Amino acid sequence: MTAGDADRVVLPAGLRERVLDASLRARAAGQPEPAVPEISPAEAFGRAADAFYGMLCALADEDWGRPALRGLDVQGLVGHLIGVEEDVHRCLAGDPAVAEMDHVESTQPTAARQTGRWPAQTRCDWRRAADRTLDLARAAGGHRDEFAVHGMRLPLGALLVVRAFEVWTHDNDIRQAAGLPASVPDASTLRLMSGLAARLLPYAAARIGLREPTSVHLVLTGPGGGTWDVAVGDARPGPATVGIVTDAVGFCRLVANRLTADRLDLHITGDPGRAADVLNAASVLALD
Amino acid sequence: MLATLSQLNGPGMDQRGAGHCPAARSRVSVQGVGGNDAVLAARLAAGDDRALAEIFDRLAPAVYAGARRVLGDDAAAQDVVQDVFVDLWSHPDRYDPAAGTLRTYLIVLARHRAVDVVRSELRRVARQERNYRLAPGQPGPTPCEEVMASEAAAAVRAAIRLLPDSQRRVVELAYFRGLTCREVANAVDIPEGTAKSRLRLGLAKLETMLDRQLLEPS
Repeated sequence: MTAGDADRVVLPAGLRERVLDASLRARAAGQPEPAVPEISPAEAFGRAADAFYGMLCALADEDWGRPALRGLDVQGLVGHLIGVEEDVHRCLAGDPAVAEMDHVESTQPTAARQTGRWPAQTRCDWRRAADRTLDLARAAGGHRDEFAVHGMRLPLGALLVVRAFEVWTHDNDIRQAAGLPASVPDASTLRLMSGLAARLLPYAAARIGLREPTSVHLVLTGPGGGTWDVAVGDARPGPATVGIVTDAVGFCRLVANRLTADRLDLHITGDPGRAADVLNAASVLALD
Repeated sequence: MLATLSQLNGPGMDQRGAGHCPAARSRVSVQGVGGNDAVLAARLAAGDDRALAEIFDRLAPAVYAGARRVLGDDAAAQDVVQDVFVDLWSHPDRYDPAAGTLRTYLIVLARHRAVDVVRSELRRVARQERNYRLAPGQPGPTPCEEVMASEAAAAVRAAIRLLPDSQRRVVELAYFRGLTCREVANAVDIPEGTAKSRLRLGLAKLETMLDRQLLEPS
């Protein structure tokens, strides 16, 4: 029997269903394999904070004055992060004033205050601010309680993953400014980040006015990835189906608005235009 | 940082036309789906069950045909197909795209599984025969045991079918028809030394598949 003959063999009725059912009983769809250890959102933020602090400790003094983002030098960008943590502290303490504050504007004074300070002072202030976020988060209780800050209203767990996301993003902004290689979160942290980004796709699509009903089959490859089926656009029957396959780290960089979709290694099924719309929607999740 | 829920539901969100984001669309170019094995392997690892279904649709006929060729039995071949695909889905990291195609990997895996089935069956029957020899006064096999012995014979035949034709012929004459090496040589019209050599090679190959005890004369 030739290879061509073998490919034309007719399978017994029911074998496909039997095999696929048995496979999914052995391992549920959507779950990465090898599985990554599950960690709490607080642990994810703690790991991101530790990695960021380690990177800051490795910087030379002259690196702190290098231009980093939005006209801020490295020290100013760390000041921005101190300001964000301080607003998160107020949010966790129940202060409603921070709920609608602008993410960049509200932290600008703290960023500006870093000018002329010793880098070690800024670094220590940031460490203390991140540690206090963790302390307050633990004291706040369940990860499902919602908190509002900078225009977001999120369960505490999601808020902490967002914090990890931002710390990792700015970690790489500073690495780029200082000529250091980019960093990648550990697989457990990345899994939480990519999962949150996938779940937020419908909101991102709504934000850019993408209303055509679309069923997105999102496959994020590599450690920390996974598979998600997300409905975006208006809830109407018969949505178009789009399959998007790309690597988890690249997708998170897209969501952080640090990479454009045309630079991702993408594999698309369905309407490429619709897939492009969804990917562009993902990038508007970033606030900077 | 990520903008989320309340901000995304804020004023202005519904002001744009449905699905109109021309600027966005023009900014991104996407390539068509890639069906190459490395991408499929990465999708499997990410838990993409559609990738599993695609692979099944493309390669299951060849896997099934290969298993059936070794086993000579439809039901057993279906079991092998199930084992192979459950294994691929459960342990996608065992497949290395750099080492060969997914097609080759699955067909080799199926062949190994099928040979394992044959070996397992032969070991069971060999144990059974040894028990009969060690207890000569015992009653004969039950109908159920006779059925299982018949299955074992089928497994032996299946294993012998894996041999090259020249070796298979001499093994069949010597073991199924009870011919001596000289008689085998005459029957096949080859020198007696060649018959012995082919028999030795054939048995050596069978020993890699079959339980050695079964090949020993009782």
